[in-house]
Amino acid sequence: MRILVVDDESINRTLLVNMLEQEGYRDCMSAESGEQALRLAKENPPDLVLLDVMMPGLNGYEVAPKLKMMAEGGYLPVIFITSLDDKRSIIRCLEVGGDDFMLKPFDRHILAAKIRAHDRIRTLSKRIDEQNQQLRVHQQKVEREHAIVEHIFGNAIVNKPEIQAYFDVVVAPATDFNGDVFLCERSPKGGLYFLLGDFTGHGLASAIGALPVTRAFQTMSSKGLAVSEMAFTLNQTLYSLLPADMFFAASIVEISESGKRFTIWNGGLPALVLKNRSGRQIRRFVSRHMALGVLQEHEFDSHCDVFEAEEGDQLMAYSDGIIEITDNQGNQLNEEGVAAWFTQAPDVSAHTLYSQARDYLQGRAPDDDMTLAIYRCQSLDGLRHSANVSALPFAISCTLSAEDLKADNVVAPMLEMVNSQQGLGRLRSDLFTVLTEMLSNAVEHGLLELDSTLKNSPDGFVKYYALRESRLAELQDGEVQISIAFCPQQQTLSLCVDDTGNGFEVDAVRKNQQDDAYGRGLLLIDALCDRVWHENNGRKTCAVLTV
Amino acid sequence: MSISTNVSDDGNKLVIIMDDKFDYVKAQDFRAAYDGLPETVHHVEINLAATDYMDSSALGMLLNMQKSLSHRNLTYSISHCRMQVARVLKIARFDKKFDIS
Repeated sequence: MRILVVDDESINRTLLVNMLEQEGYRDCMSAESGEQALRLAKENPPDLVLLDVMMPGLNGYEVAPKLKMMAEGGYLPVIFITSLDDKRSIIRCLEVGGDDFMLKPFDRHILAAKIRAHDRIRTLSKRIDEQNQQLRVHQQKVEREHAIVEHIFGNAIVNKPEIQAYFDVVVAPATDFNGDVFLCERSPKGGLYFLLGDFTGHGLASAIGALPVTRAFQTMSSKGLAVSEMAFTLNQTLYSLLPADMFFAASIVEISESGKRFTIWNGGLPALVLKNRSGRQIRRFVSRHMALGVLQEHEFDSHCDVFEAEEGDQLMAYSDGIIEITDNQGNQLNEEGVAAWFTQAPDVSAHTLYSQARDYLQGRAPDDDMTLAIYRCQSLDGLRHSANVSALPFAISCTLSAEDLKADNVVAPMLEMVNSQQGLGRLRSDLFTVLTEMLSNAVEHGLLELDSTLKNSPDGFVKYYALRESRLAELQDGEVQISIAFCPQQQTLSLCVDDTGNGFEVDAVRKNQQDDAYGRGLLLIDALCDRVWHENNGRKTCAVLTV
Repeated sequence: MSISTNVSDDGNKLVIIMDDKFDYVKAQDFRAAYDGLPETVHHVEINLAATDYMDSSALGMLLNMQKSLSHRNLTYSISHCRMQVARVLKIARFDKKFDIS
């Protein structure tokens, strides 16, 4: 510990330094004036100063604040040494920045005790100062990292504006990071999907799960997966990803291409509320499941509610942040409160509801993130027109051997290839029906030579498919070639299915009546396609579909 | 995922819930779904909420069900069809034999 002794009288300096040395303080400096004291302190910063008050030049009162200002690294104790024992002088010593005083003539033991006491405070202050420094560095680091994460989130979790335009949404995070998620995507079938969810807690930790959820949701939407499958997959992803005490309450909703049919999976979120045109509540879709990320695969239930609404009906989904708000009397708003606000008029915007929530809080900050989304049943034709269709022509062709044909779902991989092309996914159902019919005809009548009339009786129907199975299992020779070509100029998809069988009497099959359990296949192809024709005595069927 | 069934609490209604594909692969399972139908059942509902894909053999299966159960006095409905599936049913004029929603 380095002690600076400042006194204009050399006898006092000597006396003090002597005393200090006796107490074991060997690192002492002495100055005979205020000016010298400041110089010395600058060259060799002291840990404690013993300062005389009355000196020529700068006096003690003037030097003390200057020494304090120079001191780095926390508390520098300044103890005044004075023979002035009037109250006013002593008070002034302390007011100009002194920390203590000793009256001359002084007692060595008291001086030593005071030095030790101030040393303790200085050590403490130094430690706090170091910790503050560390905290500052840490805080800067965290701020920088937050900025990076915010940047990534800002770019990753963005809904397409033309899709979000179908929803009236308010997202109000309680902190910088939002544990709530609202996502919406176009379905390749022509409808929409949306997901509104809430991770346990809020802030960065809860927001982090939003990234994988967003990515998975976008991918699954682009494939047009069923809501139940989405819920199942998200649950598995989050179950393996999240710590045991964290989960994701969410509603996943598919809006059909008609714009008014909902398929809803709700796990752990407040009930979605549906109201009609005149504002009356017509249905609640309560949570039937546990939140995502809680249950293991075999425990998970992906059952969904399906509801056919009317044009103009409005569906509201929201996170529990809003039902947990309380007013000044401590009354929680609850689900009933939110539903009452929503149905107070035929049209209530998400923003109005949010303002009402803020009023209810009467200036207090909400504890949790709040998210509200409202969808009004409407035609989604505009969505279809805004979807781009691939501009590249392409052709896919494959030759299926007898062995290949024995597998179920032979058409699935080909369909996937076509559906994955931009804008062609909306044909998926029709394409499946047409291609399956064409392939079934080629296999059942071309290669396996099955007789459709067998299907006329209930028993025969089952027999037919049993026979199909056994004949297919024995099939050694024969091939079916499938080719699909897309023409972007005409926006058409051309399908050809060609088999190596003996051909069949197309007209005979076509003549069958509606009630028969067969012959309907060609009827379907005719109705779903723009053009259908047969070549090569029924061995080859071609069809053209318009996108 | 495959076919699942449930009978309503009052025993009046059988619901057959199909998965995403209703095609020839399901022929056996679909038959099994209405086999041994309890006497109390007066209505059969085919729930196609999850069904994206359908072919003509599915139409055959539906008609075949009606034929097999023709000795019983039953009503039939097909529920929650997607637009494309509803279209296929309409093309085949199934609205004459089933209550489609």
